Parts: sequence; C-alpha cells; structure tokens
Amino acid sequence: MDEFSLYVLDITMNSVRAGADEITVSLAEDGDWLTFTVTDNGCGMSKEQVEKLSNPFFTTRKTRKVGLGVPFLTMLAEMTGGGVKITSVPEKNEDGSVNPCHGTTIQGTFGRNHLDFIPLGDMVETVKTLIQGSPEINFTYIHTFPGGHVELKCAELRAMLCEEISLAEPEILMWIGGYLEEQYAGTEEA
Amino acid sequence: MNGKQLLETLELKTVCGSVESFDGVYAGDLLSRAMSHVEADNLWITIMNNMNVIAVASLTEAAAVLLAEGVELVPEALEAAKEKDICVLSSDKTVYELCAGIAAMLN
Repeated sequence: MDEFSLYVLDITMNSVRAGADEITVSLAEDGDWLTFTVTDNGCGMSKEQVEKLSNPFFTTRKTRKVGLGVPFLTMLAEMTGGGVKITSVPEKNEDGSVNPCHGTTIQGTFGRNHLDFIPLGDMVETVKTLIQGSPEINFTYIHTFPGGHVELKCAELRAMLCEEISLAEPEILMWIGGYLEEQYAGTEEA
Repeated sequence: MNGKQLLETLELKTVCGSVESFDGVYAGDLLSRAMSHVEADNLWITIMNNMNVIAVASLTEAAAVLLAEGVELVPEALEAAKEKDICVLSSDKTVYELCAGIAAMLN
C-alpha cells in the first residue's frame, strides 16, 4: 500500500463489515499533520477487542488468521511521528444489555511532511469504490486542507434522488466523481 | 536451496526457529507489498523488525525471515515468532550483499 487512499479504503471496509449504515470518513490536513478519522454506527467492539486490534494475530475474519489493517495503519502513523486511537461502543454488552448509540471511531494522525509519509493517492476513486460496493450506506466524506474543503454526503444525495435509484448506478457514480473532482479543481485554482 | 548451506556460506545468525531449505527469495520492506509478493517457502530479506513482519511471514508461509543490516526484532515480535514457529535469521550485511551472496551460491 504505497498510497494513503488504500489505507482509507481498507480501514473504512472494517466499518462496512461491522454492519454500519452511517459512515463518516474525514481527512483533515493542517500544518505538519494529517488527521484521518472514520466514524461508524456499526456493531462496535468490546474493550478487550479494541485492545487486541493492534495485534496482527487478532482478526474477526474467519478466512485467515492474520489481520493487518489496523497494524499497518498504526505502523504508518508511528513511522511519521503520529499515532492511532480507537474508541468503540459495542451494540451488546457482555451482560446482554443493549447500547443504543453503538459504533466505532478510529482516528490516526500522520506527519504529512515526514520523509516516510506516502502520497495521498486518488481519493475520488476511493470514495466512488466505497459507494459502489455499498450503495445502501450513507457515507459522508469530508476532506479539509489549507485553502480548501471537499465534501460529499450520500444522505443529501439520496434525498434529491428517487428512492428506487441505487447510488451504484453508473450515471450516479460518474456524477459523484465529477462533483468531487470539481470541488478539488475549484480549490486548486483558489 | 539448503538452509544449512545458506547459514554457513553467508555467516548468518539464527534468531529463532530453523530452516531446512527454502525455494526462492524476496527482498523488500514495504510490508503490504511483501504480503502479496513473498511466496510460500521463500526466504524474505528485510530490515523491518516489528510484529507485523512476523504476521506477514506467517500469512505468506515464508520459509524464513532474514533481517539485514544487524536489525533486531522488537521483543513482542520475537515472542510472536517463537510462538508462531517462524524462523528468523539475521546478518550485519546489507540487503544487497545478502542478495548478491545468494545469487553467487546459485550460480
């Protein structure tokens, strides 16, 4: 993974697998730092599970015994002088009681000017890939950087469309790509 | 190639485990790339020394990890390597010197 957008895709897929229907992906570039945050309303994790996340030999996958998503993200964060913080509220507690506000927030900070940091990569393509894979999820994408701000809210988009139309329709995806690219181009000129 | 021959010719140290033989070599430090390029029974040469190296070696079923440039595994990684029965070797030589040495042995 030599582009940051691949990390964004990988980490956000954890929220998709956690059964979330609202996922916010945010990138905030400010000074020497990039803060990457994913917040979801998925099934969440217990304290013990969160603690085990940085261990690559812990995974919820059944197809293989090793999970490297969070370990790789943590490695990149630490290599560039930052770190990763995870907070989570499980849907069900061990005693069977239910938390109505469940979900997970993972936040990484990265030294964006550090020698070992990697190019951001194609965020527009990444957002389109996420929406195409899970058109029923309300993704919110926010990218702020010095002199600019790019935003997409699937919920707002859905409200403007007829309900039967999937966000994975090629025309819709193309429109989303154009909408994001237009915002990026607008800020470059400014 | 025979593991014992490799250890003797290149004067490698064994950190943990043992390697009877290996088939092919991959050299590289970007773990995500190693994950897709190290093949089963390969010898993997790297200068990375964290726990994730052991996870990638386990996932790819590498025959052994060879740490170059005198790098040492962090304690948790060493513990994981022993637990998962991953063979780890080390050398003060650079990645290039190790690759060139192996290539010379093959010719």
